[in-house]
Amino acid sequence: MGRYRKSIQYIILAAVLLVGGYAIANSLFSKSVVLTKGDKPPSFRLAGLDNEVHELQDYEGKPLILNFWGTFCPPCRDEMPALQKQYDKWKGEGLELVGINLSEDKLTVESFIRQVGVSFPILMDKDKKTEKKYGLKQYPTTFFITPKGVIQEVVIGGLLSEEEIEVRVQRLMKS
Amino acid sequence: MFQNTKCECGHQNPVGTVLCESCGKPLLEELLTDESAPLEMRYDGVARRSQKANPHIVDRIWNFFSSVKIAVYLIAITLVGACLGTIFQQENTLINMTERSEFAAFYKEQHGTFGVIYHALGLSRTYESWWFVLLLVMIGTSLVICSLDRVLPLYRALSKQQIRKHLQFITRQQVVYNGTVEGDQEAWLTELGKQLKRKHYRVYQEKGALLAEKNRFSRWGPYINHIGLIIFLLAVLGRSIPAWHMDKYLTLYEGETRQIPDTNYYVKNENFTVDYYTDDELANNQKGTKVVKLYETEARLYECTDACDDPMKEPVLTEVKHHNIRVNSALSYKGLKLYQNSYQERVRFISVKPSLINSATGKSLGTFELSMDHPAEKLEVGSYKLTLSDYYPDFSLDDKSQPMTKTREPNNPAFVIRVNGPNIQAAGELYIYFAMPSEKSKYYEKIINESFKQRGDNTGLFTIKVENPIVDGKMNNITYSEYSTYLNIRVDKAMPYIWFGAAISMIGLIMGFYWQHRRIWLRFDDHSLSLGGHTNKNSFGLRADVAWALGKTGIEVEPKSLDNRRNVR
Repeated sequence: MGRYRKSIQYIILAAVLLVGGYAIANSLFSKSVVLTKGDKPPSFRLAGLDNEVHELQDYEGKPLILNFWGTFCPPCRDEMPALQKQYDKWKGEGLELVGINLSEDKLTVESFIRQVGVSFPILMDKDKKTEKKYGLKQYPTTFFITPKGVIQEVVIGGLLSEEEIEVRVQRLMKS
Repeated sequence: MFQNTKCECGHQNPVGTVLCESCGKPLLEELLTDESAPLEMRYDGVARRSQKANPHIVDRIWNFFSSVKIAVYLIAITLVGACLGTIFQQENTLINMTERSEFAAFYKEQHGTFGVIYHALGLSRTYESWWFVLLLVMIGTSLVICSLDRVLPLYRALSKQQIRKHLQFITRQQVVYNGTVEGDQEAWLTELGKQLKRKHYRVYQEKGALLAEKNRFSRWGPYINHIGLIIFLLAVLGRSIPAWHMDKYLTLYEGETRQIPDTNYYVKNENFTVDYYTDDELANNQKGTKVVKLYETEARLYECTDACDDPMKEPVLTEVKHHNIRVNSALSYKGLKLYQNSYQERVRFISVKPSLINSATGKSLGTFELSMDHPAEKLEVGSYKLTLSDYYPDFSLDDKSQPMTKTREPNNPAFVIRVNGPNIQAAGELYIYFAMPSEKSKYYEKIINESFKQRGDNTGLFTIKVENPIVDGKMNNITYSEYSTYLNIRVDKAMPYIWFGAAISMIGLIMGFYWQHRRIWLRFDDHSLSLGGHTNKNSFGLRADVAWALGKTGIEVEPKSLDNRRNVR
C-alpha cells in the first residue's frame, strides 16, 4: 500500500482539480450569449427569398454586414434604403450585405422588400432560432464582420444613417 | 519534534498512532498519565493514513481535506449558503425572463432595496454560483480523502488483530471485568467461547487469551455511505454536461407544432382543456369563483426523420408519442419529459374561412381559407383566382401612414387579396380583408377598400366576409386558440445515478445504525482473569452479552457493574 500512497494522492487530487475545475468553470462562464467585438459569429443555414440556401461560410473571405430586421420594427424599415445604397456603392469592392428577417411570413417580407427595392440577399429565420443564437436583444442589430470572419462591431438598435454605415464599411475594408 | 513510535512489544507504529497496532498499549504521553481512564478507541487507535513528520505541500493540501473538523466547517458554511438561496425566489423559477436587466427589475420591484442587493450579490443564482459549486467540490474532496485516510488503516488494523492484548488495553476498555478462575483455565475459555458463539460472536483463542468479535461489517457503514454521497455529488455535478441536463419552457397555442430547442423532437399542442369546479363542489366562501379542477394538454411528440436541417423544406415528422399531459402526468419518451407547467388564457387566431360575395346580389361565390401562419398565396373560388399580395399579421400604420405589422403575432390580421376571373377588369380587383370582427378593424377595412376603389384598384364588385359568423352562440368559420399551454421540457440523465448514489448511501447508513461492532478480549495472568469489551455503540447490549456469557460459565455478575466508564462521560 505504502508504495502507491503518493501516486494515489496525486491521482485523487488531479481528479478533484479536473472535475471541480470543470464544474466551477461551467458555473462561472455559463452566461447567456452576448456577441462582442472579436467573437466569431455563430454559423447559420437559412433559406433566402431567392429560394437558395445561404450559409455564413459562403461569405468567408469577404467583408460582411449582417443585418437582423423585421417589417414590424420601424427603425429596421427606415434604415433599409440606407443599407441598400451603401450596398450598391461598395459591392464592387467586395462588400457583402445580408439581411436576416426575424421569423416573419414570407409574403409579408417579400412585399416589403419589393416596395423598398432591396437587392441584397434576404434570409428567413425560422422560429427565432438564428436570432437566439446571436443573442439578440433589440432590433435592428447589425454585425460588421471582417473577411477573417471576426466580428468588428455590433450596432444594437437605433437607426443607421448612410454615413454611419460608410465609416464602418471603410473600417471593414481596411482590416 | 521527535517521537519514538516503537512499542515495547517490538512493533513499529506509524506517526500519530494512539494505541499500538499490535498489542494495543497506549502510546501517547497523555494517555499514560492516568492509567485508569478509559481509552479513546476511535479508529482502533491507528494513525490516519497520511500523517507525516515532515509534510510536503501536497501533503499539506491532503491533510487539510483529511481533517474532520474542516469537513464540519465546510458543511456548516454550505448549509448557511444554501439558506441564503431560499430568502427570495431564484432566477431559474422565473420562466418568462432571460435578461439580467429583467431579473434586476423583478427583484427591485418585488423586494425593494434588499432585493437589489440580493440580486447584485448573485444570491438570486445561489445554487449555480461558483462559490456554491466550489463548496460542493470541497465537500466531495473532503469526503473522499477523509474516508480513504481512515478506512484503509482501520481495515488493516481490524484484519490482523492480536488475540492477546496489552493488559492496560484490556483494563481501560468501557466494559471491564477482573476476577479469578480456579481449575482448568483453557477449558473455561473454550466454554466461554462456545457461549459467545451462541450469541453469534466469532471466537479466536490462543493459550491464555481469547478474542470474540461480531458485526465487524457495521464499521464499513459510514464509508459505504460516503461512497454513495460521492456518487450523488458527482451525478449532481454531471448535470453541467450539456447533453445530460435540459430544463426549458415552451409555449404552444392550440394546434401549434414547435421544435424542442437543441433536439430532433417536435411537440404539438393538439388541444388544451380547462375544467372548473361547479358551485356544488366548492366551499361556501368559494362559490361563484372560478377554481380550476383540471387542465391538460393533448400533446403529440414527433421525431424529425427527414429534411431536418434543410431550410428549403419542411421537416418530415413522425409521431412517436401521444399523451394527455397533466400536472403529475408527464409525457415521457427516451429520457425526455414534458411536464404541464401552467397555461394562459389568450385568444390567438389560427385561420378564418371567409366567403367571396357578389356585392350586388349578396350571393356567395364560395369560401376559402386563410391561415394566420404561412397563408396559401394562391386560392381558387369558383371560377375566380385569388392571389394574396400582402399580409399584415398585426395591422397598423407607420409614421408615414403606410400599412405595416406592429408585431409578429396575428393580433389583428389583414390580408390584401387580388381577385382575377371572368367578366372583371383585366388587372383584377384588389381588396383588403380584416379577419378580426372588431369595429375598429372593420372601419379600417372599409376606408382602405374605398381608397382602393378611388384608385381604380377595385370596382366594389365583391365583398369578402365570413358568413354566419355566429352559430348557436359559437364562432363559426373562424378557428382560434383559447389557451396557450406552458410546457416544461426536461432531460435529466443524472437522475438514475442520483438514485443509485442515494440507495448506496442508505445501505451504508442502515449498516452503521442498526448493527454494532462488539469485541471482547480476555487474558489470563496466572489465575487472574482480565476481560475488556468494546463496542462502537449500545454499550448496554455489550454488557448484557458479557454478563450472560460469564453467567453461563459460572461467574455471576451484574451487567451494570461491568461499566468502566466514569460518570463524567
